[in-house]
Amino acid sequence: MSAVAGSTPLPHRTVANIRSPPGAGHHHQSGPSTPIRPIPSNFGSPSSLRADEEILIIEIGTRKLQVGFSGDAAPRGCVWFGPHQQRRVGDFRDWQTDYRHDWSSAAAGGLWGSHHELWQYDVRGVDLGLVGDKIERALREAFTKYLLIDSRPRRLVWVLPSSLPIPVLSAALDSVFSRFQPPTISLLSSSLALVVGAGVRSALVVDLGWSETVVTSVYEYRELESKRSIRGGRMLVEHTHKLLAKKLPETPEQTDSKDQYVVSFEECSDIATRLVWCKPHPRSASGQLSSDSLATVQEHDESELEASPTSRRTGSLTVPLRSWLSPTSLELSFGELAEPCEDTFFDSQYSPTSFDDHELPLPLLVYRGLLQLPVDVRALCMSRIIFTGGCSNVLGLRGRIFDEVSHLIQERGWDPVQGKRVGQLRSNPKLRRRGARQAGDDPTGVTSPSGEGEEQDGVWHDAANMVPEMDLIDEQLQRGTDRRPRVQGTLRAVESLGAWSGASLVTHLKAQAIATIDRDVWLQHGAAGSSKPSDVDHKTQRQSLGAGGLMRGSAAGSAWTLGVWGAN
Amino acid sequence: MAALTPYTYIQCPCSDLSTLGRTSDPKSPRADEADDDDDDRTFDPRAPRSNYSLYPLEYLLYCEDCHQIRCPRCVSDEIVTYYCPNCLFEVPSSNLKSEGNRCTRSCFQCPICIGPLAVTSVETKPDPSLLAAPDNTAAPHSGPYALTCSYCSWTSTEAGIKFDKPNGIHAQLAKLRNGGLTRLTAKERKERRKDPSHRFAPAAERDHERSALDDKLNLETQFANLKSFYQSQLADPNASDSGLAALSDLGFSSPTSLSRIMSIYTGGSLHDKKAKLRVGAMREALDTDEGLQLADLDESAAIAQLQCEGYDGTASTSQLSDQPPNLGEAHLHGRGRFISDLRPIPYLLRTKRSKRCPVCRHIISKPEAKVQTTRFRIRLVAGSYIPSMAIRPLSLSGGSSGTSASGSAGIPGALLDPLRPAHYLLTFTNPIFESIKVTLGAPAKTPGRFASKVTVLCPEFDIDANTDVWDEALKDPGGGGGGGGELRDRERERERERRRRKGEEGRNMSSNNNQLEVGKIWERGRNWVSIVVEVVPASLRLDHGAGEQPLREDDDVLEIPMFVRIEWEAEAGGDEVGAVIGRDREARERRELAYWCVLGLGRIRV
Repeated sequence: MSAVAGSTPLPHRTVANIRSPPGAGHHHQSGPSTPIRPIPSNFGSPSSLRADEEILIIEIGTRKLQVGFSGDAAPRGCVWFGPHQQRRVGDFRDWQTDYRHDWSSAAAGGLWGSHHELWQYDVRGVDLGLVGDKIERALREAFTKYLLIDSRPRRLVWVLPSSLPIPVLSAALDSVFSRFQPPTISLLSSSLALVVGAGVRSALVVDLGWSETVVTSVYEYRELESKRSIRGGRMLVEHTHKLLAKKLPETPEQTDSKDQYVVSFEECSDIATRLVWCKPHPRSASGQLSSDSLATVQEHDESELEASPTSRRTGSLTVPLRSWLSPTSLELSFGELAEPCEDTFFDSQYSPTSFDDHELPLPLLVYRGLLQLPVDVRALCMSRIIFTGGCSNVLGLRGRIFDEVSHLIQERGWDPVQGKRVGQLRSNPKLRRRGARQAGDDPTGVTSPSGEGEEQDGVWHDAANMVPEMDLIDEQLQRGTDRRPRVQGTLRAVESLGAWSGASLVTHLKAQAIATIDRDVWLQHGAAGSSKPSDVDHKTQRQSLGAGGLMRGSAAGSAWTLGVWGAN
Repeated sequence: MAALTPYTYIQCPCSDLSTLGRTSDPKSPRADEADDDDDDRTFDPRAPRSNYSLYPLEYLLYCEDCHQIRCPRCVSDEIVTYYCPNCLFEVPSSNLKSEGNRCTRSCFQCPICIGPLAVTSVETKPDPSLLAAPDNTAAPHSGPYALTCSYCSWTSTEAGIKFDKPNGIHAQLAKLRNGGLTRLTAKERKERRKDPSHRFAPAAERDHERSALDDKLNLETQFANLKSFYQSQLADPNASDSGLAALSDLGFSSPTSLSRIMSIYTGGSLHDKKAKLRVGAMREALDTDEGLQLADLDESAAIAQLQCEGYDGTASTSQLSDQPPNLGEAHLHGRGRFISDLRPIPYLLRTKRSKRCPVCRHIISKPEAKVQTTRFRIRLVAGSYIPSMAIRPLSLSGGSSGTSASGSAGIPGALLDPLRPAHYLLTFTNPIFESIKVTLGAPAKTPGRFASKVTVLCPEFDIDANTDVWDEALKDPGGGGGGGGELRDRERERERERRRRKGEEGRNMSSNNNQLEVGKIWERGRNWVSIVVEVVPASLRLDHGAGEQPLREDDDVLEIPMFVRIEWEAEAGGDEVGAVIGRDREARERRELAYWCVLGLGRIRV
């Protein structure tokens, strides 16, 4: 390890530190005592010294790409992927007055919405070269239009979902390394960046993304587990289309194939983002929240009920449609506009047992995500729920999920066993004691129901108010917390600045990314050259934000890793 | 279907690897393609990837030193000037860092229709008077001001934004954070944010902080709070660890080698010590002052607003994406969705860029630095180095030719009849002062779903050098060689005219030309050559039984991939051409340039 430290190009770095001005928006509050972390620079290129000044943060999602400089609070530009981007240069038909994008033929070719996506997670059907081309063009647009930068090599930090398949990542890296010549690209997991952006160390990140919803638990800056469901933005738009198609009069052509699209993706997506909303939790009125730890939830419910009773939503909205056979407008009642959301994220008409693992309704997904966690982690995570992703902008959706999850917790407690027999067992007074003991023996459950519990039968284990066992690491962690108690055990949602801004913070604070890829090394070896994260110096990972220090650069050393992306 | 003018696209050789992409035809077997050698693989213009590598000739530059085409993807940019496209004011690059990428003067775009906004004074509140306001002769310097769009007559008063002064709008707008809401709260919020005693209050004001916990942070404040929080957290342990701080100080003031040596010998142990200190040093943010923001999940107000305002009250996706990131927003989820949330968009700055060849670093394009001029100091466009290709349909007159070309084939933009041969005249014009040898290669069948047959009747020919027009005219006895030298332009015009006429005559007179003959040039001029390409368009009829996909956009366009190879002899080092032809031939070197291009001929009748 010391060898690695010794081989780092320290002199260069210090020069870079001297030269680099405080920079835009730097807050050097703590002044000289702020540890100045070395910035990697390779000896090869003389221009890298200047390029060190600005690190570009790029958040790549399935539908859009956000770019900006590190240290900024928000990205400077956002580029959406779409068919207009995939035209040839010099093809100006979009601007022709008589031109109408022939979406129906594209839809018939199976491209209804996929034109608007950068990649699909199912890499079997993905043209990887095309992914690289799309990224390149989007980046070029972002650089010239929003960042106004020249093509000097700059260090890049990518914020990516940690579930991104290696082939896609590798194609993207290939394309960017060969076309933009960045000296290094660091990869940051988006859920981690979100956690940093929220100011917490542990959280349950509920990413209501485009292709899927991912619930990731992060504990002390490490991703523990993620659960996913295909209920995401794409499904929402498709359900919106279904709603519109149902309302539109049927035409003879479309009857022969029921799978056909009648409205363009652009319009469906537009309507989904503009109008679709989410009904509040239906059972929240009757739900008698017993635990005082959930009191905040009750408040929410009450206010929602007062302000907007579901029964009164009768007004109708007029939605213009241009991409149908002939331009028309549809009358939709306000209640109907909540249907796509209902069908996509909740599907409450079906019993929870009827869902496959990949299509769990979101409340169940979040609940299960929490349930799987160890007790102490769960206690921390449940009071730091971060909603993010495009669909979190659906009005009322976050509140609804939150309410349903708290309802589920209230209903089931943290008992992983469900079913009729369990219910019988519980209701049977003879067996109750045994059952309670069993639950107590269960290592995954709560070990002892706290005495203050409202329900004495052992069903409702208040994990929230548990006194966690002290262990060494915990003590160590506690030491730095300046004696203020951490909120735990209550269900609570926390707002994050967003993954991009979180990454901007991380980079600005000069924390070291686990996966930092050197350009030369990548071009030589590609993804095959990476080692497992465990083989690489792990220290930086363990210390995460707090670390860095003199230890630098897995990139500079021989071993480098793709981090979570290269795990398998 | 819209008529299609024939076009030519050139694939920059820098993206040769793109031929590895998948073909446009999903059913075409990849196996046999893999067998082929790299050289044999045809470029498929329909493949989705080829859209990224094809450029019209006008977009391409040329490096004189590398003798290679340079496309926008394979040049490196350098920025000459930053300027605002609206006020054409040059922005110094230092401003760019601090002020961002948008114009900070009074240039704004309408958030509804992106038209330019003008500052007008608001006499009375209702909007109709604003419409009448533009001819304001009456006291323009009074009262509050608003931004109005002259195209869609949106005014910033609709978003609740009014200005006290008619200038410095950008600075004023930045203070009006809550665009859609009343000005009062905006001010209030601003005041609160500005109040330093509130933010950095010591622990004495605990109760005050408690109340601030449910106060909403906006994006900017939360970021700033988080940043200072993290920085203080990171700094704390280091303060106690004086040894390390001293070491890093050393790095500044002393020779760099010393610090490196220090770190070699002491780095490991020091680091471990530090690491131990660091573990657990950080805690999480606990309140708003540290950047923690609890989520407000109650969105019933917004839902009610949505119900009340309906579709027209919401902003469209494109309107929202045009909005600059508003740091004054409460938080990300509160990002505006209603029309009333939209704010005037300050113009994005633009750049003038000079381009360099990435290989030899020579400048190949350099614009004039002044914003107002559109001239270039250096501009090596590819059009003056590689032959241009013009395509025009050729109608063979009458039935003298064996092929039964339909009459409509000669009309530009007419639809091609499937399975019926059509002819196109391909005119190559040589821009350089050397005669060039052109070799064409085209697949017999176009790749993709619908394979049309292609025959290039004359795939190999020479084009004469682009000599002075005047020389040619003097040489020609039939031309108007006696014309005044001062009327050079008109002369050139006439020359062109004459040539064309002559060409037509030539075709009519000699029966030889009227026939399509393999291996023969159709027509030849001073620095151009026309050849004929025969195509048999494929039938676009679909076999419905085979589960064929329906036609996609542009599937009916007949596109021919063509490999063009140009060879010429040039001076080994010099740029001057023409003076020393034939004198020392050994000093000349052979050059060649080869690239794929795509010829779009026309649409096939469905």
